[in-house]
Amino acid sequence: MKNKLSWFAVPYVVWMALMVVIPILIMVIYAFTTADFEGTLENFSEMGSYASVFLRSFRLAFVATLVCLLIGYPVSYWMAHEGPGFQRLAMALIMLPMWMNFLLRTYSWMSILENNGLLNQLFRAVGLLDALGVDYIPMIGTPGAVVLGMVYNYLPFMILPIYSVIVKLDHSLVEAARDLGADSAGVFRKVILPLSLPGVLSGVTMVFVPSVSTFAISRLLGGGTQIMLGDLIEQQFLGGAYDPHLGASISMVMMVIVVVCMVVMNRFGEGEGEAVML
Amino acid sequence: MKKQNRTGSRVLIGLTFLFLYAPILLLIVFSFNAGDSSAVWKGFSLHWYTKLFQNRLIMSSVYTTLLVSLLATLIATVAGTFAAIGLYSLGRKRREALLTVGNIPMVNADIVTGVSLCLFFVAFFQGWGAFAKWFNSIQSAVELPDRLVLGFGTLLLAHVAFNIPYVILNVAPKLRQMDRNLMDAAQDLGCTWMQAFWKVMLPEIKPGIVSGALIAFTMSIDDFIISYFTAGSASSTLAMTIYGMTKKRVTPEINAVSTLLFLSVLVLLVLSNIKEVRQEARDRLGAARKPSALERLGQKAGEPRFKWVRRGTAAVLACAFLLAVTVLARETGSRPVVNVCSWGEYIDEDLITQFEEMTGIRVNYQTAESNEALYSLLKSGGADYDVVVPSDYMIGRLLEEDMLEKLDYSQIPNFSQIDDRFKNLSYDPTNEYTVPYTWGTLGIIYNTAMVDEEIDSWSALYDDKYAGNVLLINNSRDALGEALLYLGYSVNTTDEGEIRAAYNLLADANRRGVFQGRVMDEVFQKMEGGNAAIATYYAGDYISMVENNEDLAFVIPKEGSNWFVDAMCVLKDAPHQREAHMWINFIASAESNLMNMDYIGYASPNRVALERYPAYYEALYEEELDPEIYNIMVTPPETLERCEAYLNLPAATLNLYNTLWTQMGVE
Repeated sequence: MKNKLSWFAVPYVVWMALMVVIPILIMVIYAFTTADFEGTLENFSEMGSYASVFLRSFRLAFVATLVCLLIGYPVSYWMAHEGPGFQRLAMALIMLPMWMNFLLRTYSWMSILENNGLLNQLFRAVGLLDALGVDYIPMIGTPGAVVLGMVYNYLPFMILPIYSVIVKLDHSLVEAARDLGADSAGVFRKVILPLSLPGVLSGVTMVFVPSVSTFAISRLLGGGTQIMLGDLIEQQFLGGAYDPHLGASISMVMMVIVVVCMVVMNRFGEGEGEAVML
Repeated sequence: MKKQNRTGSRVLIGLTFLFLYAPILLLIVFSFNAGDSSAVWKGFSLHWYTKLFQNRLIMSSVYTTLLVSLLATLIATVAGTFAAIGLYSLGRKRREALLTVGNIPMVNADIVTGVSLCLFFVAFFQGWGAFAKWFNSIQSAVELPDRLVLGFGTLLLAHVAFNIPYVILNVAPKLRQMDRNLMDAAQDLGCTWMQAFWKVMLPEIKPGIVSGALIAFTMSIDDFIISYFTAGSASSTLAMTIYGMTKKRVTPEINAVSTLLFLSVLVLLVLSNIKEVRQEARDRLGAARKPSALERLGQKAGEPRFKWVRRGTAAVLACAFLLAVTVLARETGSRPVVNVCSWGEYIDEDLITQFEEMTGIRVNYQTAESNEALYSLLKSGGADYDVVVPSDYMIGRLLEEDMLEKLDYSQIPNFSQIDDRFKNLSYDPTNEYTVPYTWGTLGIIYNTAMVDEEIDSWSALYDDKYAGNVLLINNSRDALGEALLYLGYSVNTTDEGEIRAAYNLLADANRRGVFQGRVMDEVFQKMEGGNAAIATYYAGDYISMVENNEDLAFVIPKEGSNWFVDAMCVLKDAPHQREAHMWINFIASAESNLMNMDYIGYASPNRVALERYPAYYEALYEEELDPEIYNIMVTPPETLERCEAYLNLPAATLNLYNTLWTQMGVE
């Protein structure tokens, strides 16, 4: 039976070669060639001048991930300690926004954060703007707005994996720790936290990777003056500066950095995987 | 376990939900706004819902989104399940290796997946094109299509590609939990392999399959980036349409569509939870516990008379799916089509309807953001256009790279009405490739309520006085051109020092925080809403803006400016030549030009239309056309003398423009 079943893997392996491996190889070829497909390293030697974009993207993504973790962990932890009805409702409420496209949700923030937007209108109405002596508080087009957009869009990706790990946690371990004399802080630090680490790790991956490579959020909320890696790459393919070879090399460098980060991080525990499940 | 005080934790959870739902609620509230702002409430109305159903672009992208998500989920679920079964019959080592490779699309940034798939499809199409040409030349029995482009097919493949790993991930643990001897036992007891599979294995792994499908569907619906790179020009998902719209004047139709989406998902979610909740409530019946509100709702809805609700929903879903398939099949069927790519807010859409009714040809009308973006689209192989409307200098570049087809002017009799001033211009000296669409000038638009001086120089764009209130135009040619003019150089200079000086001026202003953003059509919303004080844009668009905000003023700076012609061209090897010529002739007529001129505010190159416009305006609005407005729209010759047209630049200069433009905002 074993052998018969393994035939099912064959189409998948072919598919994977075609749709996963070859496209990445083609991207690598682009990265190492000029417009006439002659070999070159020029695309990479130029990379230094984009160091600030790399730094900015990784910095903003890091901040967004940290904020997501700081909000997401306690929320998932406390959610897992509520009754089953509450949990189901909360899960549904967290999933629900994901079925509205993230661009819609980001667009909504635009009208909130504009100089003449809802938040500034509110500040004006309560007299805050007059008190500060300004016409408006600039929010759109700032790095803060971009981070807000990331946190807003990717927070569910942090909550879901952490929650699903904590909720499956074997409660007898907690009781055992207590019986052995651990206090609440000790139980959390020595039992719950280490056991929930896989969820944290996959949550961090699922927030960090899309954050670092986003281009729509930075474009809509960041105004386009502070470009990020995603914008830089998009510009080279479908935007105002056509150079797919440079675009491919930037994508490649980004991919390598992200993979290295993930490998280093996953050494701390068996992350990734499991927690992406419902 | 110690009972703790839950108030604090519940407040935090509540605040998180408030954070998640406040923007969504706002979207919903403003979908009922009578006005067209998403920040100012003007009263209740269902106006935007009616408009939504008439908006072909949104409706067709909703179809595309649903169809691609459903199909991709279906395919990925079946394929992923079998792949998982196959993988789990392999040895651990081989399985782990394959899984690592297979998980790449899930771990990789979406943009990397999108870009690599896009490059792959285009490379494949080129290879296929060569093969098909060769194959068609050696035999005549089978005619292979030699021109493939990105479209629904590639979009679907890409979605399946990133969905499969999620399905495998969800099915795998169920396979791991399953006792492997079960299948053998079933077969020993006389089942065929197929029966054993259906009766033993499938029920065991069903929960995994269902949750895998659910995740896959969610990912498909939520995706934007991968679709953006793989859908090409012909099909657009809802996310792509929204992205396009957020770059222009956003209308609350977007809010209406979000509300409908949100409500339908909400209903589906409640219905799908009902069965589960009811089951659990029944299990717990013995325990003396008051069922929660949701459970009570579930029990109620789970009663027999509510069964039809669920069945009905299933039926409705199935019907919607079938409808989508048939509509799509019909739309893409034999009806003749012309694919047009133009700019945002650049046509009176009634013209499209008129043309379709008159000729029976379907117009697939798309927009690009800027000349440079159009060029990228054409080059990256994603575009499937027949007619494009680039500006003068870009036409020069496209001609130089042999990307345009010669026109057959005998099929375009209306060309004779084009004013001689707009024929045989430098980009097409013998006028064999182009029919002018509009012409106009670039200038400064500013809000007189926010600026207390009369602006007459480009210097205002770089002035610290307006820090955070200036919008820089988001294309290299105009942005650098303005800086060149300010510095007293020609917009067509090829001197590297001069261009770098212009760039330094921009980069320096950017560093000092003068620019609020880099915008193209976002400028409408920003300037009309008073969200920025100064911008540069085209005269015609100023005419539209001033209708919505009377405080706006337009000026052509004393240093001079750019004047441009946008012209219709047919792309090389465009598949719908006849339809393309019909479209061009239709648009070039005096009637179409009058309608367009009135709607988009750009001056027409049609002699007859130019002469007749003031009378046309008076007849239509029963008031005289403001001569000041007419002078901004149809720039008088003495002003035009101060303006210079862009010429196509040599490759080295274009490269410099590219590099500098990429550098902008990097620091």
